[in-house]
Amino acid sequence: MSELNEEAVRAALRSVNDPEVGMNVVELGLIYGIEIAPGTIRVRMTMTTPSCPMGAMITDEARAALKALAPEAEIDVQLVWEPPWDSSMMSAEAKKHFGW
Amino acid sequence: MFIRVHPRQKYFLRKYMTTPTDIPPRWRLPLLACAIASLILGVAAGLLRMGWRVPLPSFDLVMLHGPLMIAGFFGTVISLERAVALARRWAYIGPLAAGAGGVALIVGAPLELGQWLLATGSAVLLVASSWVFWRQRALFTFTLATGAGCWLIGNLLWLSGLSVSAIVPWWSGFLVLTIAGERLELSRFLPPSPGAKRVFAHILAILLAGMTSATLTPRIGTLIFGAALLALAVWLLRQDIARRTVKEKGLTRYIAVCLLTGYVWLALSGAIILAAGGLAQGGLAYDAAVHALMLGFVFSMVFGHAPIIFPAVARVAMPYHPLFYVPLVLLHGSLALRLAGDLAANADWRSLGGAGNALALAVFILTVISALLRGRLSQRTHA
Repeated sequence: MSELNEEAVRAALRSVNDPEVGMNVVELGLIYGIEIAPGTIRVRMTMTTPSCPMGAMITDEARAALKALAPEAEIDVQLVWEPPWDSSMMSAEAKKHFGW
Repeated sequence: MFIRVHPRQKYFLRKYMTTPTDIPPRWRLPLLACAIASLILGVAAGLLRMGWRVPLPSFDLVMLHGPLMIAGFFGTVISLERAVALARRWAYIGPLAAGAGGVALIVGAPLELGQWLLATGSAVLLVASSWVFWRQRALFTFTLATGAGCWLIGNLLWLSGLSVSAIVPWWSGFLVLTIAGERLELSRFLPPSPGAKRVFAHILAILLAGMTSATLTPRIGTLIFGAALLALAVWLLRQDIARRTVKEKGLTRYIAVCLLTGYVWLALSGAIILAAGGLAQGGLAYDAAVHALMLGFVFSMVFGHAPIIFPAVARVAMPYHPLFYVPLVLLHGSLALRLAGDLAANADWRSLGGAGNALALAVFILTVISALLRGRLSQRTHA
């Protein structure tokens, strides 16, 4: 297994997509924080709005992706709403994709 | 605007409205079952109206086609979707009341009971949607809450004795604004456009003006409503991310195709209302406009979003398959035939088209079931 660092976690989370938009949660700017401690990966993420019903499903997919990356680690994925998501949080690549 | 909140009310708000107390996914299934019962009986009632001999538990249901479809089915499903998003137990009172309202209509309980239950469901959806707006002050959350408010107003007017066809603009407004609010939310991925937002706000105001005046002066009110639908369709066709995502592949493209074709029907519905000089209750133009809107626009959205909303609500896998396009093609084809029948005053085309609409919904349900089975099989294989 490659070394567990923030970039590896980010790469794993790139497999979690918003199917409607056809883009992953990292590029969309939905990942707010990644903390790696010995034996633990902690991720804080959001949805674009609290009216989105996919929150629990997407956080589960993120948990599964991280479990596949580090089967022994304790995975803690939290859905948070502060600060509220806005489009400036998208990556440069995502913005380019949407015609910015 | 500031509202003074008493400390005890504050305690209640904090305890019951902000603590995550979601229900297990399996408890959501009976609510979905209530919605599907309303859908099946609602479609059967519609078929009987068109002259198809369909067995119904009671002939009275023929008069309840609209309430079963819009309030019993869509009302329950949308309330459930909102409750899942909020992950709060109290929000599930919405789909519970609306689902029970649909069942009350089906089993022939006193009409007022069904109407009160549906009104309760819509009131809870309004509270839930207002809560979302309170957390995130934005035009799209306002639009969602306004949509829920339209459903409540329609339900209260129905309770007060207005006919179903008289409240159709309010109930349509509920679905149109719910969808429009969600699309406005997703349009935030595109470069910000204050102009587009301003135009959307104006369309929303005209829609509301149309619904309100339609209750007092149906002809003028529905004309305004029709013009607003047409304007909204143009806005969606220009501003929706579907214009970009249709170039993707698989599920993303399928959803975009559902959306874009739905917007064409939305435009057509508005155009028919304008061409017919308003929604004259019960005429052929009424059938064409209402079904272009409900089947062409709203059900296209349902077909498109089922593969993402169903897994979110029921927590089951529903993998995409190109066969998803089959019910969509059937829906559009049969609706075109039905509207051609309305235009040519040809009863055979119209009723054949109606049967095709029902077939499209049945094939859609079969597609969902087969996708769920495939999802289950692949989960087992990977387990």
